[in-house]
Amino acid sequence: MKYDVVIGIEIHCELKTKHKMFSAGPAAFGQRANTCVNEIDLGHPGTLPSVNKQAVRYAIMASTALNMSIDRLVRFDRKNYYYTDLPKGFQITQQFHPIGSNGYLDIETEDGIKRIRIERLHMEEDTAKQFHLDTQTLIDFNRSGTSLVEIVSLPDMSSGKEAAAYVSKLREILFYLGVSDVKMEEGSMRCDINISLKPEGSEKYGTKVEIKNLNSISNVQKAVDFEIERQSKIYDENGRVAQETRRFDEATQTTVSMRMKEASVDYKYFPEPNIFPILLDSEWVKKIQENLPELPDQRRTRYMNEYGLGSYDANVLISNKELSDFYEEVCKVAKDGKIAANWCISELSGALAKRSETLSSMKLSADHLGALINMILDKEISGKQAKEVFEDVLEGKDPKEVAAAKGMKQVSDTSAILALINQVLDENPQSIADFKNGKSRAVGFLVGQVMKKSKGQANPAMTNQLLTEELKKR
Amino acid sequence: MTIVEMLKDKEHIEERVYEALEKAQKSQKDLNAVVTFIDPKEQLEHLDEVKGGLLEGVPVILKDNVSTKGIKTTASSKILENYVPVYDATIVKKMRDAGAIFIAKSSMDELAMGGTNLTAATGPVRNPHNLECMSGGSSGGSAALVAAGVVPMAIGSDTGDSIRKPASYCGVVGLKPTYGRISRYGIIPYSSSLDHVGCFTRSVKDAAIALEVLAGRDDFDMTSSFEPVEHYIDAVKGDVAGKKVAVLKNVIDAIDNEATMQCFNDVLDGLRTKGAVVEVVEMNEALLKALLPAYYLIANCEATANHSNLDGIRFGNRKDAESSEEIMIKSRTEGFGPLIRKRFVIGSYGLFVENQEKLFRQAQRVRRLIVEEVNRVLSEYDVFVAPASVSGAPKLDDASRDQLSDTYLVAENHMILGNFTGYPSITVPMGLSDGMPVGICLTGSAFKEGELLNIAQAVEDVTGLCDMKVGD
Repeated sequence: MKYDVVIGIEIHCELKTKHKMFSAGPAAFGQRANTCVNEIDLGHPGTLPSVNKQAVRYAIMASTALNMSIDRLVRFDRKNYYYTDLPKGFQITQQFHPIGSNGYLDIETEDGIKRIRIERLHMEEDTAKQFHLDTQTLIDFNRSGTSLVEIVSLPDMSSGKEAAAYVSKLREILFYLGVSDVKMEEGSMRCDINISLKPEGSEKYGTKVEIKNLNSISNVQKAVDFEIERQSKIYDENGRVAQETRRFDEATQTTVSMRMKEASVDYKYFPEPNIFPILLDSEWVKKIQENLPELPDQRRTRYMNEYGLGSYDANVLISNKELSDFYEEVCKVAKDGKIAANWCISELSGALAKRSETLSSMKLSADHLGALINMILDKEISGKQAKEVFEDVLEGKDPKEVAAAKGMKQVSDTSAILALINQVLDENPQSIADFKNGKSRAVGFLVGQVMKKSKGQANPAMTNQLLTEELKKR
Repeated sequence: MTIVEMLKDKEHIEERVYEALEKAQKSQKDLNAVVTFIDPKEQLEHLDEVKGGLLEGVPVILKDNVSTKGIKTTASSKILENYVPVYDATIVKKMRDAGAIFIAKSSMDELAMGGTNLTAATGPVRNPHNLECMSGGSSGGSAALVAAGVVPMAIGSDTGDSIRKPASYCGVVGLKPTYGRISRYGIIPYSSSLDHVGCFTRSVKDAAIALEVLAGRDDFDMTSSFEPVEHYIDAVKGDVAGKKVAVLKNVIDAIDNEATMQCFNDVLDGLRTKGAVVEVVEMNEALLKALLPAYYLIANCEATANHSNLDGIRFGNRKDAESSEEIMIKSRTEGFGPLIRKRFVIGSYGLFVENQEKLFRQAQRVRRLIVEEVNRVLSEYDVFVAPASVSGAPKLDDASRDQLSDTYLVAENHMILGNFTGYPSITVPMGLSDGMPVGICLTGSAFKEGELLNIAQAVEDVTGLCDMKVGD
């Protein structure tokens, strides 16, 4: 049987604030366990929360980029439950009045653009991290109190591909905004997927299953695809899908059950009494909204319009913000954005991959790469020479100096090239004969001889053209 | 000695502090009001760093829910019997910077929940005026120690009337200023929206000095106010000519104690003589009767969440068990007294999704109506007044209270008005009722502490009960 699929996604994203959501404790990743905590993060008696203004700013930025309306009256609530990773015994969140609501995100699908509605974005604090060993549980409170936003979509997706496209797009936006590291593998962006099926045309959806532990975008797609197949099979055999939380298992590439979801838990939400409602200044909000960094979609359009890039090249650059930012620097010098894009996408990316380096770890300067590209465009050196010079440019050297030191220059003077051509033709009568007999390969050999005589400095295109003309004269 | 007197004599600070400590130790057998004694040696050594402070060399006692770095802070609960905070409450820093010397942490009702001080983990606190009587609570230890003349000032906290009721029973001044006037950072909470920090003294002027030290914005408490702090002592003139004083009719109608009413009426007559306009006003009786039930709901709902951190995992008394979940259950079950557990159950019940609207949220709406009713009175009067207790302190074994009588619902609990509104409220001794002290409670408008203290001074001038202590 065929089934309709509905998928909704909840994303928890750690904000890049210096301090925690409700304390001045440092927010840092990868530090020694329990060193980035203060009495507030540990939920000691008598401590009180203070709202992190930077987190509010970031939440406004994210909400704005996701086309949401902003609730200027910021309110927080308590979510009550007992768990060892939750030191206060409640989490401060925004249950009743999320700062952002009713937004959307457009994703690209095979059938064109699809709009995914986003229900809410709210601020909250993260929990501690637990390590369950055989005989004990260790708790690292460094993450406790870290600022988070939770972004909840409506169930508008219907395939693994769409789910992956949504997560990927959202991730890109948050990264471009600079509000989060969005590292799924490190948990600074976590993704929970709700998925349920119904027979095509039927009204009633089946049981909703939640999938957790998705640490990459490709796993999002794999997990959803697997889950659709798994649930379809159960329904095909007239079985019942259990209401449960599953996780994606990397090793088997399947989803496995984590725990059953019984009657929903009552978190006894109520307004946080220690934080009065905060009315944000409308000018402050406006200023934040008007000064958003360029978003990936805007940049994509600009690349296509300003630099004449095709959508493929534009997408490749934009998917790597560091490279894309570097590309823009190159374009400030380089006279041709398209050629600059080619260099960034193929030569530069290739070189980085080969060396297992990143842009920031290299001495390479954007000005130098721009200058190198202009040297090709100005026919100062050949493309082949440029690749050789590039090796030194990667090490931070000036391409002009490198070319000069290597004695490289491109000869584009017609009479000089002609003189070389005639010299070569005189030395190779057999090749001329071959050419006359229709062996076009002879041209290639002769061009090679000219290049050799010029020590590689003859303009190859000109050489080719002039040689053909001279051959015809003989 | 009052604070005012102590500040005049800075030659004998060390003697005075050790004398207070010794007195506190001696009082322990009778009053049982101290949980932990603090060695003042180190504080005295650093006293020259805070010369000229408003509390220079004044020995002070803290309620045991005030966090003190490195000093045990139990909130009189078994679950915290070994808890040593890693930080100081904001008010501790403020008082230390003003030159105060802390000598002890005082007993309280467990986690500040209660009005008798019978529920402290260290046992009941006795009233210095009569050892068979209770001190009242929840700040009973602080009230008793000030009344016994051990120190001129002690810190208390007030969620329902936990400063003002024991102040009445022990015959001292008990001040609870406006919500947000004093930082709550570092005070082990009861109910966040109702909790206030305040102080006990033996004179109104001392209360003014204490408030000036304690008050002010604290970035660690978002509910603390940016309102500038007054030089309160300047406002305390006892000048009430033309001041309008409202007497709460509902409360005095519900009081059946002649001796108490005699004290009360004497004070009112004195105020009139000084030129105050004293008038009887009636509040909506139904709202006043709803005060206590609404209070219990709000307080217990907030408390059950506030104390969810007491799980034995990171601090406090941990009971070993097989799983972390069982550790939490066992630590909490064995760590809390039965009254506390009862309140947590009520609080949880009130927050359940199916109950919250008709219980907790409804109580909050009732609170709003009551605040509006109080505003109606305060729009025409500078303060409203009523006896702070129907009678003197009850006996330790008194269980005779009918919790649904008008006397109990209205006359014994009207001071919650100060917590519901957050408005400043003070109890001042007004005399003896059957040999035990009783106080009068005055409540004013938000951040008008200066005005409130001024009128309270007039009361003190009328009664002459300044620096009253046991044995005088």
